[in-house]
Amino acid sequence: MLEIKNLKKSYDGVTILHDINLTINDGEIVSILGPSGCGKTTLLNLILGLTDADEGEILFQGENVLELPMEQRGFNIVFQDYALFPNLNVYKNITYGLRNRPSISTRQEVEDLIDLLGLREHLDKKIEQLSGGQKQRVALARTMVMKPKILLLDEPLSALDGVIKESIKAKIRQIARDYRLTTIIVTHDPEEALTLSDKVLIVQNGTISQYGKPDDIIKKPENEFVKEFILNQLLIKKNNIFTLFRQGNAPEMAVQAGAAG
Amino acid sequence: MSRKKELEIKGIFVLVVLVFLIFLLVPLARLFLKSFVGDAGLTPDFYGEVLTGRGFLRAFGNSLVISSVSAVVTTLLAFILAYGVHYCNLPGRYKGFISRAAVAPMLLPTITYGFAIIYSFGKQGLITRLFGTQLFDIYGFNGLLLGYVIYTLPVSFLLLSNTMSYIDKKFSVVSRIMGDSPFATFVGTVLRPLLGTLAASFVQCFFLCFTDYGIPASVGGEYEVAATVLYNEMLGSVPNFSRGACVAMLMLIPSVVTIALLHYLEKYNIRYNKISQIEIRRGRIRDTVFGVLSAVILACILSVFAVIFVVPFVDEWPYRIQFTLEHVLGVFADNSLVTVCRNSLVVALLTAALGSLTTYGAALTTARSHLPGGVKQVIENISLITNTIPGMVIGIAYLLIFSGTPLQNTLFLLVICNVIHFFSTPYLMMKSSLTKMNASWETTAMLMGDTWLKTIVRVVTPNAMGTILEVFSYYFVNAMVTVSAVIFIAGARTMVITTKIKELQYYTKFNEVFVLSLLILAVNLAARGVFRGIAAGRQGAKRMVRRPAFRKQKA
Repeated sequence: MLEIKNLKKSYDGVTILHDINLTINDGEIVSILGPSGCGKTTLLNLILGLTDADEGEILFQGENVLELPMEQRGFNIVFQDYALFPNLNVYKNITYGLRNRPSISTRQEVEDLIDLLGLREHLDKKIEQLSGGQKQRVALARTMVMKPKILLLDEPLSALDGVIKESIKAKIRQIARDYRLTTIIVTHDPEEALTLSDKVLIVQNGTISQYGKPDDIIKKPENEFVKEFILNQLLIKKNNIFTLFRQGNAPEMAVQAGAAG
Repeated sequence: MSRKKELEIKGIFVLVVLVFLIFLLVPLARLFLKSFVGDAGLTPDFYGEVLTGRGFLRAFGNSLVISSVSAVVTTLLAFILAYGVHYCNLPGRYKGFISRAAVAPMLLPTITYGFAIIYSFGKQGLITRLFGTQLFDIYGFNGLLLGYVIYTLPVSFLLLSNTMSYIDKKFSVVSRIMGDSPFATFVGTVLRPLLGTLAASFVQCFFLCFTDYGIPASVGGEYEVAATVLYNEMLGSVPNFSRGACVAMLMLIPSVVTIALLHYLEKYNIRYNKISQIEIRRGRIRDTVFGVLSAVILACILSVFAVIFVVPFVDEWPYRIQFTLEHVLGVFADNSLVTVCRNSLVVALLTAALGSLTTYGAALTTARSHLPGGVKQVIENISLITNTIPGMVIGIAYLLIFSGTPLQNTLFLLVICNVIHFFSTPYLMMKSSLTKMNASWETTAMLMGDTWLKTIVRVVTPNAMGTILEVFSYYFVNAMVTVSAVIFIAGARTMVITTKIKELQYYTKFNEVFVLSLLILAVNLAARGVFRGIAAGRQGAKRMVRRPAFRKQKA
């Protein structure tokens, strides 16, 4: 269980985040949702340990980790731009961490991850030969080899399009379920957040606007911001889609989530 | 604290700063002091003496005039060449030839240019004999102009060619579709975006001409320039170090002004992220004109160098012109010359190694650390200062401060002098390459158990290798051809090829001069080939990192 209590962060006297209180249960997928500049990436960096907090506590399994340096917290992140190492091929990227800690994953566990993420045929490729979705899966595999206690994902879908987006969503869900891994995702896209996660944390102006299950957020928006900016956006999307399909074009095939990416 | 303290990078920063403190700032301070200190304590008298005596002001004025004229001519010629490459439908191989030939003079020391001019256009020169009459008087203004133009053309061409490759050529299409006349299109979509670079090219060429010593040393004649005055004050028949220091300080003034101008012009520098490839409009007349003009310009330049390949291989130019290898073999039989060649190679290799290390360390602190901005600014300022100081000034400062120390007459002193003298451009190349790399690598690698140093070795360095090789090659070639700084600090045992050429000139042994020049050319060509080969082998078909738009070349 990850508990955050009264977390506060400011840069040069400007408060970025304040009064952050929340609890995330083991194995949950939580999305941090908000407009750009709301402080969601700062929150992610605080949990990761890349940034120091001004006040508050971050408790993981009851222990305050705020004073621990990043590399000792045991959390791990996949950055938005993947940060893959172009001088190494796919396989060497995936097993990068094994050079430092050979026993962290067994050979079998690595092979399982490669198969789970569908990377078997790409292992000898260079990073520059991969598509966006493939890069994302390599970055996920590389991070999973390190067996993170919490997986942090920074805008994992924003650089991907269409069907690939759905397939990566499915992979993220599968990983969280199979490995019972607490996963925290930063996103600016309400549709992504509400369809991917168990709980959604809506951040606005540096503090929590609403935190709850997707259902609750749709049915019981707690304030104007959630109504105006989150739900309204989805409503427009919904209407657009409905208009498209009303004109006699019945959908002929279902979306194949989890297909190729 | 969870933020890593970055102790390693702080250590590197301290080391880099220490090197520049000891080998740049302290010598410069000493030079400054020397220009004021006489037997009777502090005095401004030396400046008075210099400014009033021995035609200094006239030489200074001459320098300003000849440098300005050369800069204008060079920029014009370089524009024609670059326009031919980027805006005309010339055959691809011809374009490749233009690009390579335009930068070829970089591979030779400037002191050679002068002798090549003498042996081409002099009374008994190769070209004079071909035409049957001497085309112009080579000693003085004309010879200097020709030498300076050849010397600065590569830099000007690189600057203009680089900017032209970034200018969006679609604007030309838009302009024509909107009904502009061809002239208006040219002005609006070629000339205007290039203005900043054209000005930068002028300033850069001016700086190079003003601070070069090699060319006036050979063809200056009666036309005295600031660099020759400086040399004569320091190493002439009646040396006066205090007056020399004054001249050096005065030479800094135009340097500082030109660099300040370059920085100001940087604002006009256009930066496009994407280079859009577009088909160039058909234009037979345009293509013919620029194709022919380019050929003429390059023929003129290369013909000057033709003599280098002729004179050392004939019996006795111009009287007995049978082919012979006697002179070449003579050089290799001469022990002192072989030592000089070995010194040059050792200095060039060590300069390249130490220079790459220094620039890499410096660029890591500015491009890949979280040190505060003020700390990074220190490195930026160092780069700026090294860019401003002419080689001769560094050489004289070293002469003043290291004479009598164990460092005097060591190859190490030559190496460190080169590393500092040429620091700016490779540093900027390195920084630009490191800045472009993914900012999250270090964090990601640390989460996988790397230390900072491990990440640098396993990830950053392999990805920077292309640029590191470029920097290595840049330092190597420049160390091979430089004469301005090392002429003051090379001793009898630490003589390098370029300083030896200066000495051979004194004894009028021109065969040896040309053999040694050829040797430098061969070594540089070979070195470039090797470094390019390694880089290509490593990177596969991947494109090399682009050079920063404003790079500086120094004598």
